[in-house]
Amino acid sequence: MKRHARLLRTAVVGGASLAMTLSLAACGGSADGDSGTIHVLVYGDATNKVEKQLVDTFNKTSKVKAVLDTVPGADYQAKLQTIISGKQAPDVFFNWGGGSIEPYVDAGLLKPLDDFIAEDPGLKANFLPSVFDTAVVDGKPYGVPMRGTQPVLLFSNKKVLQDAGVTTPRTWDELLATVGTLKAKGITPIALGGGDKWPTQMWFQYVYDRVAGPELFEKAVKGDKEVWASADSRKALGMLEELIDTGAFGTNYDSVKFTDGGSPALLATGKAAFELMGSWEYSTLQDAYPDFVKNDLGYGTFPTVEGGKGDARNVAGNTNNFYSVLRTTEHPEAVAEFLKLMYSDEFVEAQLAVGNLPTTTNTPEFLDRAANPEYSKYQYDLVKEAPAFQLSWDQAFPPAATTTLHQAVQQFFNGQTDTDSFIAAMQSLPAA
Amino acid sequence: MTRKRPNYLAGLGSLVWLFVVGLPLYVMLIATFRTRADYAANGPLGLPDDLTLDNYLNDLDDGFARYFLNTAIVTVCVVGIVLLLVPPLAYAIVRSDGKATGRVFRLFLLGLAIPSQAVIVPMFYLINEAGLYDNLIGVILPTAAFAMPVCVLVLTGVMRDITSELYEAMTVDGASTRRIFLQLVLPLSRSGLSTVVVFSALQAWNGFLFPLVLTQSSQNKVITMGLYDFQTEHGVDIPGLLAAVVLSVIPILLVYLFARRALVQGLMGVGGK
Amino acid sequence: MTTATASAADGEKTRNRRRPARPGAGPGRPGFAWAAPAAVFFGLFALVPLLLVAVLSFTRWNGLGSPEFAGLENWSALLDDPVMVKSLWLSLVLTVLGVAVQTPLSILLGVWAAGHQRNRAVLSAIYFVPLLLSITAVSVLWRAVLDPNFGIPAQAKWLFGDGNLFGVQAGALGVLVFVSTWQFTPLHTLLYQGAARAVPRVLYQAAQIDGAGRVRQFFHITLPQLRNTVVTSTILMVVGGLTTFDTVLILTQGGPGTDTTNSAYYMYQKAFKSFDFGTASAVALLLVLVAGLVSLVMVRLSGYDRMRSTLEGV
Repeated sequence: MKRHARLLRTAVVGGASLAMTLSLAACGGSADGDSGTIHVLVYGDATNKVEKQLVDTFNKTSKVKAVLDTVPGADYQAKLQTIISGKQAPDVFFNWGGGSIEPYVDAGLLKPLDDFIAEDPGLKANFLPSVFDTAVVDGKPYGVPMRGTQPVLLFSNKKVLQDAGVTTPRTWDELLATVGTLKAKGITPIALGGGDKWPTQMWFQYVYDRVAGPELFEKAVKGDKEVWASADSRKALGMLEELIDTGAFGTNYDSVKFTDGGSPALLATGKAAFELMGSWEYSTLQDAYPDFVKNDLGYGTFPTVEGGKGDARNVAGNTNNFYSVLRTTEHPEAVAEFLKLMYSDEFVEAQLAVGNLPTTTNTPEFLDRAANPEYSKYQYDLVKEAPAFQLSWDQAFPPAATTTLHQAVQQFFNGQTDTDSFIAAMQSLPAA
Repeated sequence: MTRKRPNYLAGLGSLVWLFVVGLPLYVMLIATFRTRADYAANGPLGLPDDLTLDNYLNDLDDGFARYFLNTAIVTVCVVGIVLLLVPPLAYAIVRSDGKATGRVFRLFLLGLAIPSQAVIVPMFYLINEAGLYDNLIGVILPTAAFAMPVCVLVLTGVMRDITSELYEAMTVDGASTRRIFLQLVLPLSRSGLSTVVVFSALQAWNGFLFPLVLTQSSQNKVITMGLYDFQTEHGVDIPGLLAAVVLSVIPILLVYLFARRALVQGLMGVGGK
Repeated sequence: MTTATASAADGEKTRNRRRPARPGAGPGRPGFAWAAPAAVFFGLFALVPLLLVAVLSFTRWNGLGSPEFAGLENWSALLDDPVMVKSLWLSLVLTVLGVAVQTPLSILLGVWAAGHQRNRAVLSAIYFVPLLLSITAVSVLWRAVLDPNFGIPAQAKWLFGDGNLFGVQAGALGVLVFVSTWQFTPLHTLLYQGAARAVPRVLYQAAQIDGAGRVRQFFHITLPQLRNTVVTSTILMVVGGLTTFDTVLILTQGGPGTDTTNSAYYMYQKAFKSFDFGTASAVALLLVLVAGLVSLVMVRLSGYDRMRSTLEGV
């Protein structure tokens, strides 16, 4: 028994001291000096290598060193909100402009970029205005575009359309007719990743824009609740209802997700004919189905609506992502220098290489060298010519609205709520 | 043995359950050796056209080795803390005559009902204030705390089985409280201790919410986070994702293969035998 | 080690079998100092945060700046919140379904696996594997396997129809219950296996002499002997069921609509999606109260907390 006791004691004591040693090692590993660094927080995904490259470039010449931190996608906004007012707050951080930074502006956490722009007008003039404006809050600029623009496009499987004897619909009525034809052939007309909810929202964005023009949503996001109950709003909802009722999306779309590859796979394998999706659909498909992208992937704008108020050239989606600056940053000069890299040739080339489409004015010079020149040029011209670029609804509203918004669009699509309850849900959203 | 006739019904039932358990495992394993296009074209149950190791290689490139190390550090530390704190506590609960220890026991019993997500918001601020945000210690401490109630329950159950004659014998010999603890209680609680080790290790290994909220940089990422991030970043890559799942299980599967008996005995102990 | 066959939870039997330690001051008795480190540690990382949750539930706070006192605002809002009521109901449904499915299944499997035949040992080893996977891994795996177009439902239409499992409430709840069952049945099976092996052989031998069949033996000997294990395993299932979170987050995100938004997930949503930490704290506290109440009742039933007095009262 004594031997056992000794063994056990050795084990316990040994385990404990090992634990301490390892904790200390872990601790030592993540401590770093705070003087002379700026922390750059970005949304973690496959294109982080560009941000990393630019940070390296910056560090080559700057005395103040930049440190890149990434937070993986789904939790980015939550993580940002919890650290932005504390000790761990970054100096510069990624965001979507619009409602995503409103609460921070209201809380006085962000630095207006007027001073930076006064010193270097290029920080504003070198970007497409429709994009730059997304990060203007209460008349002051708070962000510099730092990735690519992501308009939502109507993608199609050309082979499926050809086999069914139909062409890409240019108007809403053509879309309805095409849906009928495809359904009769046993094909799901439109792939929808309803499980993610935001793909469902894309349909609302475009139908509302085409029917009522961009003004309706602009008013809504500023707190005008009446617009949701307007005739235009009801007309848009009626059109969506008609489309859903014809079975355009099949029956199991709420079990399908874009994020796990479900809906793009439907399109690529010919089980569905269309998908309304952000421009990133292209690179997603390119990774998984290169042959399909080469031969059969079609893309175009959302159909027009006869008698609607919205311009057919209007687009919706993510205008770009932005870097915003914390008011309390200790190294504003270094931050300004860092932001200037966002319109450099190196930035544009690196973004194009990973499939992002930058929105700087010098972008066209490099489009020939893009991974997919034709697709890039199409998008760039689309965004440049667009009279209005509607920021995704869930980005335009503050984060507090997201859950209700997503639930409302999903419940409208699956028939759990009717037009009136949808309108009521939208009216309950907090204004930006 | 009392049972002579084979029990066909039970045998059939057990085979059905084998199917339910085995099918997804089979799907997972086979999918990890397939390309994405192949998986989409032939379905999870179809036979693959050809096999590839790329999914695993890509995952390892993504930094999974670092995540393993972090998870191992967290697991060892959590087990260490629990082993250091819980046995003396259980000993006091079983043997002490003070009212205070009784109250402490009830506190831990109530602790069983505190879900970790309920306290996650203040936990974040405590850890942040302590300067332990995005630091593995910040994950280790709350994980250990939340593994404790079950461990206390198990260990007190086992220690109660030590008869008073044994204590009295040692007391007569003039043994101190400490000696009784080290030479009598601990050795006789071995089964309970192994349960505690297994339980707290599983908690730490599979921990999700604390690392999710309390860490951020990739150098402090644990496996479950690696997996979750993988799903959000490359969710479209199902074979790659499943390969990551398999990678996350391999170490614990090895432990299982070599120490199955201890592991199983340990877990049985959660039921208090 | 034979003494260990007595269930720790079974106070009555323990009392009859041996003379337990007698209370009384004296040498060899650990003082409060032995309990203090663990108590302080646990208090710091579990009870202090819980107290802060209680405080936060009376404030308005979005994580920026400092919390403002809001009185009972969050609480009265919650009472009128249909989603909150629904979420409590869903937590309950998930828990009850979980217990109802897992308990019979794991008792049967556990009793079966308690036999010492070689094939049973091999099968038991395989049954155990799901327990080794983290909940994250399990959820990720099932999400892929149950995809309506590229998972098993697409290849087994006779069983799954159009495969809209995540699009209707019954389907989504079913998946959540099934996935928990898949992962945690091995644990409970183990508990029952251990307990079934501890049932004294003589009981069966006596029953066989009386001519009792297998079914009667199961209901008259095995089940009564497993009583304490049923309590332990049920407590674990109930607490686990009430706090189901990871699976909801990864598999359904509370959808369709709010049809699988249980309280734990609703709390997370309020806190980290809507940044309404005040309301989230109120939900959290409510959840703790419900879980606390339920486990208190069950602990009473099982006699865990009386154990001490039963032992020392002799």
